[in-house]
Amino acid sequence: MTPNPLTVWQVIELARHQDRPYSLDYIRRLAPDFIELHGDRLSADDPALVAGVGTFHGRTTVFLGHQKGRSLKERVARNWGMMHPEGYRKAVRLAHHAAKFGFPIISLIDTPGAYPGAGAEERGIAAAIAQAIMEWFRIPVPIVAAVIGEGGSGGALGMGVADRVIMLENAIYSVASPEAAASIVWRDNSRKVEAAEQLQLTSRDLIAMGVVEEVVPEPEGSASADYDAAAGALDEALQRHLAPLLEQPVEQLLQHRYERFRYIDSLIHAEPHFGPKID
Amino acid sequence: MIADGPRQVAIQGGPLPEVLLPTNCPGCGVGLQVDELREHNYVCPGCGHHFRLAAEVWIPLIADEGSWNERWADVRSHDLLNWRVPKPYQEVVEQLLEEGLNEAVRTGTCTLAGHPIWLAAFDFGFVGGTLSIVAGERLARGMEQAAASHVPYVLVTASGGARMQEGVLALMQMAKVNAAVGRLHAAGVPFFSVLTDPTFGGTAASLALLGDINIAEPGAAIGFTGPRVIKQATYADLPPGFQSAEFQLAHGQIDVVLPRTEIRPLLARLLEMHA
Repeated sequence: MTPNPLTVWQVIELARHQDRPYSLDYIRRLAPDFIELHGDRLSADDPALVAGVGTFHGRTTVFLGHQKGRSLKERVARNWGMMHPEGYRKAVRLAHHAAKFGFPIISLIDTPGAYPGAGAEERGIAAAIAQAIMEWFRIPVPIVAAVIGEGGSGGALGMGVADRVIMLENAIYSVASPEAAASIVWRDNSRKVEAAEQLQLTSRDLIAMGVVEEVVPEPEGSASADYDAAAGALDEALQRHLAPLLEQPVEQLLQHRYERFRYIDSLIHAEPHFGPKID
Repeated sequence: MIADGPRQVAIQGGPLPEVLLPTNCPGCGVGLQVDELREHNYVCPGCGHHFRLAAEVWIPLIADEGSWNERWADVRSHDLLNWRVPKPYQEVVEQLLEEGLNEAVRTGTCTLAGHPIWLAAFDFGFVGGTLSIVAGERLARGMEQAAASHVPYVLVTASGGARMQEGVLALMQMAKVNAAVGRLHAAGVPFFSVLTDPTFGGTAASLALLGDINIAEPGAAIGFTGPRVIKQATYADLPPGFQSAEFQLAHGQIDVVLPRTEIRPLLARLLEMHA
């Protein structure tokens, strides 16, 4: 990777750019025979999450991905990639589908966050995310997640518990959007640039913190400039991470997944007064 | 032997400390003396408003007197992100420690009406009770030990969500603690969650609502996105009582809404039934 001359805010603008490839742009290149499946089998289908099956390197694979929209009409229909509770329930339903048939799971993350609306609250968005996060730790098949654009808050993490998490060069992953963080810290969301600079949300920050395993380089001019090249690089990285996972016994896979998140803050375990890993 | 019905269980484990609170009830505006409030478990005797309590009050409220054994109290937060504005994070943390608070979650073992339990209590006074690396670590370590030793786990929440000043590592605590909650469930260990005012964001979307039984105090605000942000994002008019404990009961997220004086006796009965 070449040194990144962009400011943090420029990276955020790239990560959010409407010309950036979205989940379906990648999935159709990773698995041209992709079949989209719909519904949480409880009450609804959430169009902010695409889900389905496709063949990836000769193996049936469950694909999940936040889907933003490009035109205004499509953005409204996709709710800007912000999932409702039904989306997390659909994801868990498809995870159980993968578990039943032994299919690996690829999850593409690209969301500003879960939907911050009254209806989502009424239908249990907090519990839906909580249950999804807990459930991923029990799914006995390999899971690889890739942050392709915006990884916003609990809405992203709800789709981001995996054996390996990788990230595109100009993607971001954050505890909250810079606007939300500014609103929380200063009660003023216009201070988003300051917040962004504090949050350490770029791919370089994330790999330095040990939160992602790999940063996938983007083509000259970012992923927006060349969808095929961006998808090709993602394809190669996903396959490279998935292959060894497919060989692992299930017990070991789940134990490693547990430990990946249990000690994800291992940076701080080295600090004085933090105490040993296991008491 | 025929059971002789539920034992009478005290509404609190031991004497509660005196804490500084607003002199007027936020619920009804009446002036209240600290002694009078303390006698009523910090519930307004007039209108029933439940004052927010620090962990130092929740612990004697739940734990049998003299049984509390706090764990990992020496684990400290560090400013990993070099957070400088509006105040350096390290200074904020050190000042709160000086004021006698010890992170957003305190945990340890104790007994409740004689039943051994693990107890974790959030402290809203410490950076809004936000889920931090230290909070996550104390929760995960306690849950792992509870799962391994088959000791029931009781949680008391009060939290604004994940801690901004610890960035994405704070977000990751949601996965860390939920993985540990999964271990409790897999081990068949009871997990009772008591939600108090307020419980939001990453805390609501992780361990708080994953109890085998979720109990909430009357009027406690519980949700994912706070009402201010919902109004900003969607221009919606939110009805009165939106995201209250009673709202969450009606929407299937909470098993029971109970006044503070009935929570400990309920926990004691649940511990007996799930032993």
